[in-house]
Amino acid sequence: MTWLRLHLDAVGDALRRLAVQPFASLVSIAVLGVALALPVIAAVLMKSVGATAAGLDTEPHVSVYMALDAAPGDLRRVEDALRAQPDAAAVKFVSRAQALAELQSTTHLADVLASLDRNPLPDAFIVRMRTTEADRIAAAKAAWSRLPKVDQVAADFEWSERLARWARFGERVVLAIGLLLAGAVAFIVAHLIRLQVLTRRDEIEVSQLVGATAADVRRPFLYHGALEGLLAGAAALGLAALVAAWIGSELSALTPSYAAELKVVFLNPAERALLVGGAAALGLLGAWTAVALELRRFSGDR
Amino acid sequence: MIRFSAVAKRYPGGLEALRGVSLEVAEGEMVAVTGHSGAGKSTLLKLAAGLERATSGTVLVQGQNLGSLRESALAVLRRRIGFVFQDHKLLYDRSAFDNVALPLRISGFPREEAARRVRAALDKVGLLAREKAMPVALSGGEQQRLCIARAIVNRPMVLIADEPTGNLDAEYARAIVDLFASFHQVGVTVLLSTHDEASVARLRCRRVALAAGAVLEEAAA
Repeated sequence: MTWLRLHLDAVGDALRRLAVQPFASLVSIAVLGVALALPVIAAVLMKSVGATAAGLDTEPHVSVYMALDAAPGDLRRVEDALRAQPDAAAVKFVSRAQALAELQSTTHLADVLASLDRNPLPDAFIVRMRTTEADRIAAAKAAWSRLPKVDQVAADFEWSERLARWARFGERVVLAIGLLLAGAVAFIVAHLIRLQVLTRRDEIEVSQLVGATAADVRRPFLYHGALEGLLAGAAALGLAALVAAWIGSELSALTPSYAAELKVVFLNPAERALLVGGAAALGLLGAWTAVALELRRFSGDR
Repeated sequence: MIRFSAVAKRYPGGLEALRGVSLEVAEGEMVAVTGHSGAGKSTLLKLAAGLERATSGTVLVQGQNLGSLRESALAVLRRRIGFVFQDHKLLYDRSAFDNVALPLRISGFPREEAARRVRAALDKVGLLAREKAMPVALSGGEQQRLCIARAIVNRPMVLIADEPTGNLDAEYARAIVDLFASFHQVGVTVLLSTHDEASVARLRCRRVALAAGAVLEEAAA
């Protein structure tokens, strides 16, 4: 009970400190909120781009070219093997005759092709892949090139690899900005709490003289920092939601002209909780650092 | 209750405030430490209250060796010792009531019980009517008594006072001295310092004279 009372007392103290200077508190929380909102907005944009890209027909295709002397039995066996691969979404057979006819109709090589005494094109399978992961496509490619009477396997997954790399790059940029601004939040809270500690120097000194332990002295400041972080996290969430709604209304106006659905994907409840909780933890960390530094100075005085 | 064994205290910078002081204050006893300023009176009292640590020698309070206690344990021990500071150490941003309530808030006392104890302490020093006053509105003597109220609000077994009659006129000083005598009468161990001969005479207690950080002489009550 005493323990609970001490903590409730510290929470009350922290709330009073915030309420005593409403303007200063609001400004601090706004500064922290904006700092946190920036990476959150960037993350929301990344998430939205990712969701839109997932909606596009982004599956890469792999072409499997047969040897010229492949027999119908070989073709069947290879087709079965391709269909058995779980990453293959669809397998389309293009016969040598079809390929030649297509080539003759779409290019100006008809005369050249007509002069050949036999069809130089092989039978081929076009496999639409389910995955954009370069590793898995490469694995499928390697497996298929070992099938009997398969001459060559070509995959145009370079672009998908490039897309994945851009996505990783984007994620890393967001992460770097996020970490820097999270650090900034901890520093700002540390500074604010340090000012609080300095203005309450007398109270801390007298409290220690009449029996307050370091933990007793620290407690209200820790709650103060955590509360400031919590409120800043909530403010960042609100700000990011406003920006997302603003951008989203413009995006939805664009949607009819494209097949793919463009929309802003906001944070899910777990991510929101993580944001607010993380902000509170940053506030706590900043407050802890500030009080630890200032307290050590007090005990050095004595 | 309090036992000093060959206690020395050297401050950073080389000032030797105490040089091998041995002293014992029995339970329920009242002892006055006298001496000129700079004799080491304040240091002796601070060591006894766990506000400072000895450089060498041992300080035992209620059987506990203060030198071997951790910071937090020392802080908790301070709650059982009432200390009246020479410079009062009051908080000027809060009322007399809240100043006295501070030690109880730190120990996490229930609010009603705390309020009752605060009023009892204020009553004992004659400041019950001024509980809402801010310290700046109080006279020097009233501030001194407010500091005493804060020292006794935890109902300590030991009361230590550093120059409680300093800077007070004779009449105020007598009232303060009588106040300490009354605590002593109800069984509280009292250790106080003073350079005021009239106060010592009125206290009629054992006296320990300090000079240059050492015990010069002791005199029974």
